[in-house]
Amino acid sequence: MNNSKILIIIPAYNEQDNILNTCNTIIKYNKKNKTNYDFIVINDGSSDNTGKICHENNIPVVDLIHNLGIGGAVQTGYKYAYYNNYDIAVQFDGDGQHDVNCIKNIIEPIIKGQADMVIGSRFISNNNTFKSTFARRIGIRIISKIMKLITNRKIYDTTSGFRAINSLIIKDFAMSYPLEYPEPITTSELLRKNYIVKEVPVEMNERKAGVSSIKTWKNVYYMLNVILSLIVVRIRRYKRCQ
Amino acid sequence: MPINLRIYLIIFALFLVLLTFSILRKGRIPEKYSLIWFFIAFIILLVGIVPNFVDLISELLGFEVMANMITAIILLLMTFVTMSLTIIVSGQKKKITLLIQEVSLLKKELEEKK
Repeated sequence: MNNSKILIIIPAYNEQDNILNTCNTIIKYNKKNKTNYDFIVINDGSSDNTGKICHENNIPVVDLIHNLGIGGAVQTGYKYAYYNNYDIAVQFDGDGQHDVNCIKNIIEPIIKGQADMVIGSRFISNNNTFKSTFARRIGIRIISKIMKLITNRKIYDTTSGFRAINSLIIKDFAMSYPLEYPEPITTSELLRKNYIVKEVPVEMNERKAGVSSIKTWKNVYYMLNVILSLIVVRIRRYKRCQ
Repeated sequence: MPINLRIYLIIFALFLVLLTFSILRKGRIPEKYSLIWFFIAFIILLVGIVPNFVDLISELLGFEVMANMITAIILLLMTFVTMSLTIIVSGQKKKITLLIQEVSLLKKELEEKK
């Protein structure tokens, strides 16, 4: 499986200041390491020049004809991966938070067949330098505790948007994907369906420009919705794989 | 029940029926969604025409005042109407999302072929 077709999905909403940089780091990485990562930007109906910049620089992009939100945008990427027969899809933020050098770490367990999904985690490395607000860390820990109750598995970085999946899950995600709070929900769903989920340490940078999509005042509402969604994951019936 | 209140109820019920018919005639809702409104109009009409009968029912059901029963019934109906609307809207959101995704992917494919 050394020549797996790998697609990097980059959802972008109003990322005109970051998007070109993000894509260029992947192109440079490919040249330097002789890797063959394809990538596609999903322009989620941005009102700024994100789409224009991509077209002018010949960056492969799907322009959503209307804003869908993170879940709908990422799912479009998974559909693209499914229709084009990719073996591995990597979700990668367009804002420069994720490190292209870590991609090989998160796809390695999938290539070796040791996992169906790999989450790039900020919290399991020894030299953890990621700085995040106190409220956010507490939130992630609470979600982690609830997920432990529901799936019997400890996932440390529950909201990480840096993940890789194999073709089985690409099909699964192309068929159905939650529109909101997708990371903790899909992880719990996959665990309930008996897929193998692994966490590997990655480095994440501070945002280079723009504003993060999670606003502080929305945190309580976010937590309530995630907890409710996770309870629903617990009581729903799933077809188990294997 | 005072006669003028009964007249108000009857007028309101008839107005509701006319309104529903006019919406139906313009084709703005499918017939099945109009059923609930005809049903509600029918209940209001019933109260206006035979209040004694409705009074009897409310007494049998244990309501002290008939008006309370009417309010309770309408409230219950509205709860179900709103819930079914939530389901309809959510289903539509799903379909619209699917459309946006597939159309956008098709546009991308077309661009590639140019």
